[in-house]
Amino acid sequence: MLSLLWLIPVLPLAGFLLLALCGGRLSRQHIAWVGCGSVGAAAVTTALVAIDFFSLFPAREFYQQTSWNWIDTSGMTVGISWYLDALSLLMVAVITGIGFLIHLYSAEYMAHDDGYARFFAYMNLFVAAMLTLVLADNLLLLYLGWEGVGLCSYLLIGFWYREPEYGTAAQKAFIVTRIGDTALAIGLFILFTQFKTLSIQQVQSLATGAWPVGSNLAMIVAVLFLIGAVGKSAQLPLQVWLPDAMAGPTPVSALIHAATMVTAGVYLIARMHHLFELAPMVQEGIAVLGLVTLLLAATSALVQQDIKRVLAYSTMSQIGYMFLALGVGAWPAALFHFLTHSCFKALLFLAAGSVIHSLHHEQNIFKMGGLRRHLPWTFWTFLIGAAAMSGVPLITSGFYSKDWILWSVWSSPLSHRWIWFGALLGAMLTGLYSFRLIFRVFFGEVRTQPTGESGLAMRLPLVVLAFLALTVGFLEMPHTLGNVTLFSHYLSHALPTTALLPGMDESSEAREQLAVTVAALLGIGLAALLFLPGSLFGARGTDQSTTHPSMTLLQGGWGFDRLYDRLFVQPWFAITRNSSDMVDRGYEWLAVCAESCHGWLSHTQTGQVRWYAASIAVGTLMLLGLFAM
Amino acid sequence: MILQDFIALSPILDLGAFCLVTMLAIAFRRNHARIAVCAFLSCLFTLATLPWAATVAPRAVTTLLVVDGHALLYMGLILSATMVIVALSYRYLNSQFHEQDGVEEYYLLLLLATFGGLVLTTAAHFVSFFLGFELLGLSLCSLIGYLRTRRNPLEAAVKYLLLSITASAFLLFGLALLYFESGAMTFHEVGVSVKQWQTVPALWLGGLILVLVGIALKLGLAPFHMWIPDVYQGAPTPITTYIATVSKAAVMALLLRLATEVGILELPPVVHLFSLLAVVSMVTGNVLALLQENVKRLLAYSSIAHFGYVLVALLAGGPPAAEAVTFYVIVYCAMSLGAFGVVTVYSSEGGDKDRVEDYQGLFWTRPWLAGMLALSLLSLAGIPVTAGFIGKFYAITAGVDAGLWWLVLALIGNSVVSLYYYLRLFVTLFGEVAVQEALPQQGTVQRSEFVSWTAVCSLGFVASIILVLGIYPEPLIQLIRESVSNLLMVVAQRP
Repeated sequence: MLSLLWLIPVLPLAGFLLLALCGGRLSRQHIAWVGCGSVGAAAVTTALVAIDFFSLFPAREFYQQTSWNWIDTSGMTVGISWYLDALSLLMVAVITGIGFLIHLYSAEYMAHDDGYARFFAYMNLFVAAMLTLVLADNLLLLYLGWEGVGLCSYLLIGFWYREPEYGTAAQKAFIVTRIGDTALAIGLFILFTQFKTLSIQQVQSLATGAWPVGSNLAMIVAVLFLIGAVGKSAQLPLQVWLPDAMAGPTPVSALIHAATMVTAGVYLIARMHHLFELAPMVQEGIAVLGLVTLLLAATSALVQQDIKRVLAYSTMSQIGYMFLALGVGAWPAALFHFLTHSCFKALLFLAAGSVIHSLHHEQNIFKMGGLRRHLPWTFWTFLIGAAAMSGVPLITSGFYSKDWILWSVWSSPLSHRWIWFGALLGAMLTGLYSFRLIFRVFFGEVRTQPTGESGLAMRLPLVVLAFLALTVGFLEMPHTLGNVTLFSHYLSHALPTTALLPGMDESSEAREQLAVTVAALLGIGLAALLFLPGSLFGARGTDQSTTHPSMTLLQGGWGFDRLYDRLFVQPWFAITRNSSDMVDRGYEWLAVCAESCHGWLSHTQTGQVRWYAASIAVGTLMLLGLFAM
Repeated sequence: MILQDFIALSPILDLGAFCLVTMLAIAFRRNHARIAVCAFLSCLFTLATLPWAATVAPRAVTTLLVVDGHALLYMGLILSATMVIVALSYRYLNSQFHEQDGVEEYYLLLLLATFGGLVLTTAAHFVSFFLGFELLGLSLCSLIGYLRTRRNPLEAAVKYLLLSITASAFLLFGLALLYFESGAMTFHEVGVSVKQWQTVPALWLGGLILVLVGIALKLGLAPFHMWIPDVYQGAPTPITTYIATVSKAAVMALLLRLATEVGILELPPVVHLFSLLAVVSMVTGNVLALLQENVKRLLAYSSIAHFGYVLVALLAGGPPAAEAVTFYVIVYCAMSLGAFGVVTVYSSEGGDKDRVEDYQGLFWTRPWLAGMLALSLLSLAGIPVTAGFIGKFYAITAGVDAGLWWLVLALIGNSVVSLYYYLRLFVTLFGEVAVQEALPQQGTVQRSEFVSWTAVCSLGFVASIILVLGIYPEPLIQLIRESVSNLLMVVAQRP
């Protein structure tokens, strides 16, 4: 069954082609069948491949397959070739599994949209590109997938293209991530000129052999790859596109801007971990970047009014945790948080979509409230998602993954104490903003009348994801609680295990865990105090649209948009406005020249044979005179 | 002559026999469809003899002809192109030929011209060269004026007649001078005497230049290009296609053989002459095409430029040049068949559709036809995934490897200029539908009749060639490589 590996990305691609070529002629039901079916088939194929992969797993750590020779010129051979190991199998399972649930959800969510076929075509294309990205055996194929997901993200953010704002948001996302893509491409070029190969495994083993730790080239390439990852994963300083990307339909936000695409940066860094280990300073930078991003995003999430923007900032913040884990060398912890985050964040977005769906596309949380009784399914699943995100101890998956990260930060030799304190503050803020949403949306009086709970196709994914959000955490439990190491054991065949500082024992781990638990519960408690109607301060702040400068600063995501506007966009517009004529004039002159030459030469085509014969004679004489004499 | 000679000559003998059969068939009973099928089958059977002939190739048959891989490859090209043209001609003539009778001889003349083309590809002697040249030219002359009661074809025929006589005069005089200095009539012996000379005699060089002028006239290289647009425009469109593809490919095959066997590319004056012709042709062709409003003229000018590109490849010298030239010629034939084929099919509906405005919004009324033209235009412009890109890439690679920087730069610059007029026509195809066109055509009988299976098959064949060569050119390149080594081997082998 392993030989079916190539089928996994091809199935969604086939779905895309079918929908793109004859989507207009299919009925809505057939479109949904094709759209969901192709991803579902990919998920089933993944399961078959996984069974076969595990049958020989610890002995055979990876499986390679070449489908096609893509490029074969002098000195450069690039294949359409796939590479499956523990890391890529994890990614593929998340992409196809959660992807299928989200497709199923979309079948109902988008049911009345005009662009039904277009939507599923883009979604299938996205899944195909994302699978190519994570299964690629070489960097060029990875880059193809990387650009493919970027393109689909653009297309889906601007899905409702009749709204000019949405188009602008799509362009913003595309252009900002493009900065990262360019850096990644340059990194690729450098690796190729150095090692004459683009195979991910070969490049890394060659790099480990050729470059000493901390060498300049290793640093440069690592920084370029980091910029690429930062752009895709919406981390500082390229984070500005993600909140605006919420313009797309909610399933898109769930799939692309929460569960899969934005974690491509995490995957890239984990995949290239040998390279990053050669550049310890860059790795430290990743940790700091992750920390700053998670704090900035968490504080911004506190004051947003749009439900989807809250979730967008929370995504940014949670990916900050993953970067932090990568930065301190806790590779498996980062991937574990990726797994749990995909489950609970997809759940939160889908539940939010369910709320929005029942409120006639109302997204402002100050116009929501009291939905607990009207939308019980949505409420309970949303509650589970929010609890998992805040890290409610013992019962939620988010607790285990976040605790693992914080413990790694505490115990890693690559880390510092202040980073841990920052991350702990972030954990508290997570509880605060998550439950602010719960209390605003589901408690208090009803402000907008909902139409009622949605159908089975939307509820089923919610329930499955809620189940996962509670249970995937049990794959890995700390020494102090059960000591389950399924996940870290599994990933140890693809990623290095986390190093520990000397003197870290179970008692210090228990103390650390207590701190994390307290922080999370403190956040939730604070939220209850501040936002639960009828509590101490709950009556106040029914309308938070204050114009305090600190408030607007936070709401605008710490003013990065305005900064970039002043720093790059405005100067660029100024330049193009002033100098366009000068540059154009040269080209215009060329065009005028060509046209006048045309006019002049046209006179020679008189249509008279005598003139033609004469020109032949003169031409011959000229040639004879020039070359025979 | 022994049996093997007959086998080697079988394509030419076969086509000659079929010319007689066709003539007799016309004499006994006139029937347009039957004769068209007969002509098509003649080419098909001749094509089928090529593998047989290849079993004894390379082989010199008398001193006049050489049958080798090079000749056979070009024969295959010429015969396939003729088949496509025959397939397109039938419906075109049905709608355009209004005289009392005599439409059948068209196919006989076409076969005779092709016969001349085959002779040219194998010619290794001045006499066979001249025979092939004249057979091709004279048959074409009557074909150009075949719609004999119309003004434009007649004008074009007279022009072609006068100017090809001029070319023949130059050619004959040049051949006489070559013979006068070297005392030989075969390419090979002339080449041997060139190698023996310390300095090339001026009269010989003059003779060579006159011969090259004759060839340049047939290829339509500037400044001997002026007849091209008038004749292209005036001739019946299938014949225009024929001039653009078969006639030029045959002459190019001859030029390649002449260049390798006589070794003229080792003479600096000839290199300079070709460089000059190449640059002037590229610039003139492209600049003249820029604002052209007649599609046939536009393609005529573009053909002038394309043969400038071919010359750049030729100048690279050696096997890569021969490869690049042959590949480009094959690709060019496919693209021209595509572009002119669309004009032919579209004109078969009644009235010559050769103005750019006739093509306004064609995509919305006849998507497949417009798609075919668009594909040919993209290929002519050298856009990737089409054969034209690979051809141009090959030509540029050959030029770069030989260090012909100025010529390569000129080629690239001219390709940029050429984009303008190709894309202009391309955009027109997708423009708004002209009002008078849109309404009356729908649902009429004409339309269903117009999409004939011959047109679909032949254009589909050409389209697949353009696409396949653009994506997977390897097999053809291998074939050309073998034929080129064949060509060079013959040169080395002969005493």
